[in-house]
Amino acid sequence: MSVTGSARGTLRGRLETAAPARFWQVLEEVSAEGGFSHRFSAEFPEIAERLSGAVDRRTTLKLMGAALLSAGLAGCKPSKGIAPYVDQPEFTVPGKPRFYATSLVLDGYAIGVLGETHEGRPTKLEGNPAHPGSLGGTDAIVQTAVYTLYSADRSRYVRRGGQPATWGAFQAEMAELRDTYVSRGGAGLGVLIGAETSPTLARQLDALQAEMPALAVYRHSATTPRNPAVVPVYRFDRADVIVSLDADFLAEGPGRLAHARQFSDSRRVRREAAKMSRLYALEGVPSLTGVAADVRRKIRPGALDEAVSEIAAALESGAPAGDKFIAWLVADLGAAASRAVFVPPLDASLYVEATALALNQRFGAVGDRVIYIASPEIAGAPLETLVTDAESGRLEQLVILGPDVLHTAPGDLDITGALQRLARVYHHGLHVDRTARLAHWHVPAAHDLESWSDGRAYEGSASILQPLIAPLYGGVTKHQVLAALAGDFTSSAQELVRGTWPSLNDEAWFEALKSGLIEGSAAAATAPPAATSVAPATAVDGATDAVDVVLRPDPYFSDGTHAANLFLAELPRPLTKIVWGNTAEMSPDTAARLGVAQDDVVELSANGRTVVLPVFIHPGMPEGVIAVALGFGREIEGSAPIGVNAFVLARRDGGGVLSEVTVQKLDAKEHVVTTQHHHSMEGRDIVRELPLAAFPPERNEPAQPTLYPEYENPEEAWGMSIDLNACIGCMACVAACQVENNSPVVGREEVARGHEMHWLRVDRYYAGDGDDQRTLFQPVPCMQCEDAPCEVVCPVNATVHTADGINAQVYNRCVGTRYCSQNCPYKVRRFNFFAYQDFAEDNPLSLLMNPDVSVRERGVMEKCTYCVQRTRAAQIEANITDSPITDGSVMTACQQACPSRAITFGNLKDRSSAVAREKGEPHAYALLEELNTKPRTTYLARIRNAPDSEEDDGE
Amino acid sequence: MQVFGRQADQIAQFGLTAALVMLLVFAVAWVGLDRSSYGTGQRLARLQPIPFSHAHHAGEDGIDCRYCHGAVETSSSAGLPATEICMTCHSQLFADAPVLEPVRQSFASGKPIVWERVHDLPDFVYFNHAAHVNNGVGCVSCHGRIDEMPTLYQAAPLTMQWCLDCHRDPGPQLRPEDEITSMTWTPTGERRKFGEQMIAHYHVRTDHMTDCYVCHR
Amino acid sequence: MASDPPRDPPVLSPGATPRSIPAAISAIPLGPKLPRRFWWGFGFFFALTLVFLFSVTWVLVEGIGTLGLDIPAAWAFPIINTVWWIGIGHAGTLISAVLLLLRQRWRNSINRFAEAMTLLAASLAAFHPILHLGRPQYFYWLLPLPVTHMPWPQWRSPLVWDFFAIGTYLIVSLLFWYMGLIPDLAVLRDRAKRRGAQVAYGLLALGWRGSAHHWHRFETAYFLIAALATPLVVSVHSVIALDFTSAIIPGYHSTIFPPYFVAGALYSGFAMVVTIAVPLRAFFGLEAFITLRHIDNAARVMLGAGGVVAFGYVSEAYFAWYSGDEYERYMIWNRAFGDYGWLFWTMLACNVGALQLLWFRSVRRSQWTMFALAMVINIGMWIERYVIVVTSLTRDFLPSAWNTLAPTWTDFGLLAGSLGLFFALMFLFVRLLPALSISEVEELQHELKEAG
Repeated sequence: MSVTGSARGTLRGRLETAAPARFWQVLEEVSAEGGFSHRFSAEFPEIAERLSGAVDRRTTLKLMGAALLSAGLAGCKPSKGIAPYVDQPEFTVPGKPRFYATSLVLDGYAIGVLGETHEGRPTKLEGNPAHPGSLGGTDAIVQTAVYTLYSADRSRYVRRGGQPATWGAFQAEMAELRDTYVSRGGAGLGVLIGAETSPTLARQLDALQAEMPALAVYRHSATTPRNPAVVPVYRFDRADVIVSLDADFLAEGPGRLAHARQFSDSRRVRREAAKMSRLYALEGVPSLTGVAADVRRKIRPGALDEAVSEIAAALESGAPAGDKFIAWLVADLGAAASRAVFVPPLDASLYVEATALALNQRFGAVGDRVIYIASPEIAGAPLETLVTDAESGRLEQLVILGPDVLHTAPGDLDITGALQRLARVYHHGLHVDRTARLAHWHVPAAHDLESWSDGRAYEGSASILQPLIAPLYGGVTKHQVLAALAGDFTSSAQELVRGTWPSLNDEAWFEALKSGLIEGSAAAATAPPAATSVAPATAVDGATDAVDVVLRPDPYFSDGTHAANLFLAELPRPLTKIVWGNTAEMSPDTAARLGVAQDDVVELSANGRTVVLPVFIHPGMPEGVIAVALGFGREIEGSAPIGVNAFVLARRDGGGVLSEVTVQKLDAKEHVVTTQHHHSMEGRDIVRELPLAAFPPERNEPAQPTLYPEYENPEEAWGMSIDLNACIGCMACVAACQVENNSPVVGREEVARGHEMHWLRVDRYYAGDGDDQRTLFQPVPCMQCEDAPCEVVCPVNATVHTADGINAQVYNRCVGTRYCSQNCPYKVRRFNFFAYQDFAEDNPLSLLMNPDVSVRERGVMEKCTYCVQRTRAAQIEANITDSPITDGSVMTACQQACPSRAITFGNLKDRSSAVAREKGEPHAYALLEELNTKPRTTYLARIRNAPDSEEDDGE
Repeated sequence: MQVFGRQADQIAQFGLTAALVMLLVFAVAWVGLDRSSYGTGQRLARLQPIPFSHAHHAGEDGIDCRYCHGAVETSSSAGLPATEICMTCHSQLFADAPVLEPVRQSFASGKPIVWERVHDLPDFVYFNHAAHVNNGVGCVSCHGRIDEMPTLYQAAPLTMQWCLDCHRDPGPQLRPEDEITSMTWTPTGERRKFGEQMIAHYHVRTDHMTDCYVCHR
Repeated sequence: MASDPPRDPPVLSPGATPRSIPAAISAIPLGPKLPRRFWWGFGFFFALTLVFLFSVTWVLVEGIGTLGLDIPAAWAFPIINTVWWIGIGHAGTLISAVLLLLRQRWRNSINRFAEAMTLLAASLAAFHPILHLGRPQYFYWLLPLPVTHMPWPQWRSPLVWDFFAIGTYLIVSLLFWYMGLIPDLAVLRDRAKRRGAQVAYGLLALGWRGSAHHWHRFETAYFLIAALATPLVVSVHSVIALDFTSAIIPGYHSTIFPPYFVAGALYSGFAMVVTIAVPLRAFFGLEAFITLRHIDNAARVMLGAGGVVAFGYVSEAYFAWYSGDEYERYMIWNRAFGDYGWLFWTMLACNVGALQLLWFRSVRRSQWTMFALAMVINIGMWIERYVIVVTSLTRDFLPSAWNTLAPTWTDFGLLAGSLGLFFALMFLFVRLLPALSISEVEELQHELKEAG
C-alpha cells in the first residue's frame, strides 16, 4: 500500500507529536499502514522487544516457539509461562531442528548452505555438499552469517532524507522516477550494483534496459575490481604440480572452498598412496596459499611481472636459472608425466594473465586442470565512469544496490562529490552506512537468509536462495527494488525469482529448492581468451628508504561488507592472530630500518593521503613492504567502526600495491591485540613435519605405564584425527565452533587480557628462517584425554569422564576453582571471567543461541566437548531406533565446517571407521605424547614435498 | 566481690545446650525442606487460564495422551496442543461454553493461550521425552495419574535425586510399548525379573545412564 | 632471681616479679589510656581494612575477572596470598604446641600473640580461595552434604584435602588459643574495675576460679590439644603443597614441595613473629617479658628453616637438570632469565642472601635490625610464592598458550587490604586481651626462681 504525499505530510506531523525519542520504533503505530507492531507487541511482548520494527505474521508464528526457548536460554531464569502454537506450521516439531537448503551470496557468487532452524530461528549454517561452491565446506564468513542476520545494528526502516518513511512511500517514489525516465529512455538514470551473478537481477536489468535503453549500469567491487569476460575454473585435484603466481586461490575468490577441497585431496598422503601434489608459490605478502606451498619464493609485490617473465623464460629455454625455485620447477616440468597448472592472481596484470594462459596451454593444462568459462558476473561500467558521468551531468539519479561506495572507493576518486552532484540517490543495503546516510532514500535490505533470490557459483551453477525466516527488520530484496523501478508493485519477492526460471516446472523448482542447486546449470567451457602479447611491466625500484604498501582485503571483513560482524572482528586473523583492528604489518628488518617496534603508531602517506596505524611485526613479510588490511573502519550506524579505513590510500588504477609510501613514526602507542604471543616451538615436538621422501616414518610409541584404570567404552569411543597436511589454517572451524556452542564475543579489552573464549584455536608457529621460513598451523581442540589431568583435580566432580570417552564439563556443577585449566597441558579450557552473555530481554542475539547447548554463567569453566549435543542426539536416535550409529553420521561442528576435510571424527571402537583408519596411519601422533594423557584427539604429521626435502630441518 | 549471680552457671550451661540443639534443628530442617513438597513444588497445582481437566479428557473421555502431546515420541519436547487441536472438537462440542471463551478467542485472534508451566526443569537439564517413552518409561511414571487430575499438578519431586533413582535402576519403571500411555498398567509376575526382560527388550544402555552429560550439556 | 650466663640474655628479665607480671600485662587491656601512636597505627591499618572490604565487594559484584587472571594464569594473587598467609599461620602452632611439648621455657611469653597471629593468618588463608572461586556462593559443594542433587566432592582433588586441612587447623588453633586464654581472662575479670569489663571477661572466663582442680584439668586438656595440634604443623602446609605437587605443570610437579613448603612456612612464620614481637615489647614496655633472648631464638629457627628453603631452591634446579625433562629445564631457565627473572633474583636476595646475616649474634640481638630483616624475609617469601605460582603457569607446555599476567588494582587491594585487616585485628587483640600469657609467664618466673 502506498502513501500519498498529503498522507506523508500528515504522518510527519503526527510523528512530531507522537513520540520524539526513538519515534521510528512506533512508526507503524502512527503510520497509514496501521498499527501492526502495536497489536504485535501486545501479543508477544518478548519478541516485540527483540524486533523493534514491523514484523509480519509469518515471522511471529515462526518465532513463537523461539521466544519460549530463548527465554530459557539465559539460564537460571525459568520462565513460568508456556505458549503453544495457535496454528502449528506444517512439519514443525517443537524441539526438533529442521534443515533448509539455500545459498549465501558472497562477493556476488553463491555458496550453497544448509540452514539449521529451531522453531523458525536459523541458528547455524553448514556447507551444502551438493553445491560446487561449497562441497560441504564453509569459511568463517559463511559460519558467522547468522550473526549479521540478527545483529541489532542492521537497518530497520526506510528513510527519506534521514527521516523515517515507509516501503509504500518508496514504491510511490519509484513510480514517479519511472514516469520521469521511461519517456527519456532512461537517459540520466543509473543503477550501481556490486559483484552480482543473480540471474533474476540480470533478467530485471535486461528488462529495464529494454524499456530504457540509455539506462546506465555501473558495477563496483573492491575485492574483484576487474571483471574479465572469460574466467578460469581450476581442477587442482588433477594437477601434480601447481604453480601459484602470487595467487591466493585457497583463501580468495569465489572458488576458494572448492579449491581448498581439491588441493587437500591432492595431498592426502596415506599408507596405500604415499604421493601428493607439489605447490610452487611466488609470494608478495604472506598468504594461506603461500604458507601451504612446498617451495616458496618471496618477491617484491610490485615485481610480479619480472618474476613471472623470468620463469617463463627459464621454462622456454629449459635451462635452470640460478634460483633453486626455478631450477626445481624446470626439472619438475621437464618430467614427461608432469601435470602442471599455473594460477594467476585475481587482480593479475594483463601480462601475468597472458603468460599464465600461455604456460597452461603449453603444458596441456587447458581443458583438464583448468577450463575457461564466460564470466557468470553481470557486467557494468566501473566507478570511474560513474564519477565522470556524474560530473558531466550525464547521470542525474542513481539507484545503489548494496555497495558502500563511500567506504570502498579509492581515495583518489571523489565519489562523495559525484554523488552529491546527483539529484537523487537511492540506496538499498543491510546497514545504514556512509553511502546510506548520503543517499536521499535508504531501503533496508533483507539478509540472504531472509530473501528469495538466486545466484551462480564460481563455475556457473545456479542455485535458489529461499528465506529461512521472514525479514526480521522489514528488509526487502534488491529484486523488489528493481521491480518497483520496473513498475511492478504487486509481485512478491518469491514470484520475482520464480519468474526467472520458467524452464523449471514446479517439480523441478521444488527439487532445486530442496537440493539447493539447479541441476545442469553449470557453465559450459568456452575458448580461452585470445592470446595477447603484453610486455612485462618493470617494477619501479624505489629509493632504498621508501617502502611499498600492499592493500589487501581482510580475510573476514573482505572489503568491509562484513565489518559489522563482531564474531568476525574477534576471530583471530589466520596468519597474524590479530583481532579487533588492522595494522601496518612489516618484517622485523623493515621495522628495524624504519626504527619502529610493535605497537608503535605510524602514519603512512602516499600522494597526500594518509592513514594512521599501529605497527605489527610479521616475520613472513618481505623486506621493504608493509601490508595493510582493507575493509576496516567502516562507519555503520549503531556500531563503532573497527580499525582504520585504508581505502583512502588506494588508487583508481587498481592494483593493491603502492610504491613510494613514506612512513612517519608518531609519538603514540596502540596495543595490537592478538591471541598468540609466542611463535616458536622452542624446539619442542609440537607440529611434526616430515619430508615426503621420509614417508612412511616408523612409528615408535612405547606404551607408557599408568596407575589409572583403563576406561572401557561399552558403545562408542569417540575420537578425532586432524590432518595437519590438509589444514590450511582458514579458521572456519573456530567460527563454526563458536556459533554451534554459543561461545560469546568478549570484546577487544577482554581478549587483550587473555580472556578470549574460543574453545578451538588454531596455533600458528614459525619454523626455519630466511627464505625457507615456514608457517605451521595446528588446530587445538580439547584432546579429550583418557587419563585427563583436569578430571582428577576438580574438587566438585564438574569435569568427568563419560562412557564414550569424552571429558564432559558440567557447567551447572562447576564452582570455578580453575584448577582444571591449571592442570591442562594443552590449555584448551576457557573461563567465564565475567557474565559475557547475560542478554537483555531485547537483545536479538538471544535468538541466535543454539537451544541444545547451555549458555554459560559467570564464573564457570567451559571447553570443547566434541559437540556433545550432537553425539548425544545421535546416541538417543540410535537408542530409539535400536540401530547403530553409522560412521560419519555424527560430525562435530569444526569437522563439518572444514573446507579441506582436515578433521575426521568418529567411533574408535569401530575398527573400520574413517577416524580409526586415520589413527592407524604411520604419521599419526599425539600432542605431548610423553605426558601419557592418552589424548583422543591426534594429529597426522604435516608433510613437505620440496625436492630437497630429503635433508629437512623439521622443527 | 561477686560479678555473677548464683544461677550464672546454669544459665550459661543452658545457653550452650540450647545453641547446640538449635543448630541441630536447623540442619535437619534444611535437609528436610529440600526434599519436602515445599522445596520441590510436588503436588503443587497452578491456576490455569482455562479450567482444563485431564481427568475429564484423558480419564473419562479416554483420549490418548498423544492426541494432544503429539511430539512425545519423536522429539525432546512432548509438545503442547495448538489451539486448532482444541478446536477440532470444541468447534462442535461445548462450542459456546463460556469457560472455553479463551480458546475461541485465541483461535480467532491468533493469540496463543498462555498456560502456567507445571513441570519445570532447570534450563541446564536436557530432558528428552522421546528417549524415555521409546524405551518403555510410561507417562504415569513421571506425571502420575494424570487421568485422575481435575487440575494438573506436579506428581513427582523432579529432584536430581529422583531422576537418578530411576537412572540407576531403570528396570522397575519399564513397561511394554503398548502400555506406555496406560495409567493403570501393572506388571504381571515378578517385578524385577520383568524389569530385566524390559531392559533387554529395549536395549537400555544402563552402562552410562548416570553420566552427567546424559542430562547436562 | 634468674642468673643466666651473661652471654645469653635472660628469657625473663630480673625485673619481673609475681606482683609485676599480671600488673604489667593486664595493664594493656585494662589500662586507662593507650599511647596516641597505638591509635595512629590502628587507624592506618583500619583504613587498609576498608580497602580490603572494598576490593572484596568489587570482586564479588563485578566478577572474578576484575582480578589479574587469564588463561593460562588462572591462579594468581589470591592463591599466592593463601599460601603466604597459611605459612605465616604456622609459627603460632609450632611455638605453642611443639615447643610446649619440648618444654622450651622461652616460648611462654611469646606463644599467646603467636597463636593469635596464627588464627588470623589462617582465617585469611581460608578466605582467599573462596573469594577466588568463580561462583563463591557454592563453595560448600566441596563438603559432603546431603543435598538433593547427589554428587559428592571428588576426593582425588587436593583442593578438597585443603578444605579439610585448613578447616581442621583453624578449629584446633582456635581451641588451643582459647584454652590458654581462660586463666588469664579470669585474671582480667578479677582485676577489672568497670562492671562491663568484669562481665565481659567473666563470661569468657567460663567461671574459672583457679582451683587446683581447675588447674589440673586445664594442664591435661592443654597438653592434649598441644599433642593434637603438633601433627597439623606438618600436615596443613604439606597438603597445601600437594595442590602444586600433584599438578602436571612444570614448576608445580615437584615432590620436594611438602617439606620445602613447611620449612618455608616456619621461616615466614617466625619472621612475622619477630615483626610483631619487636614493636610489641618496644611500645608496651614488655621488654621484661619478651627479651632479646626470644628474638635470638626466633632468629636461630629462621636460620634453620631458611637453610632448608635454600636447599629447596637448589634441589628444584638440580632435579630439573637431572630429570633431563626439557619442560622442567626450560621452566628453571625461564624463572631465572624469563620475564619474571628479576623477581626470582629478588627472592634469592631476600630469602637466601639476607638470611646469612643471621649467622652474626650481634644481628640476632639487635631488635630493630631483626625487625628490618624479618620484613625483608616476609616480602621475599611472598615473592617466592609468586614465582612458583605465576612463572610456572605462564610458560607451560605449548608456547602458543604462553601469556603474561597483568595484576590489577584489585589484586593489590586484596594483598594490602588483607595485611591491613590482619594488623588491625592484632591491634584489637593486644588492646582487649592479654597479649602475653600471664599464667605461663608467672609459671616461668616461678620455675626460674626455683632454678636460681
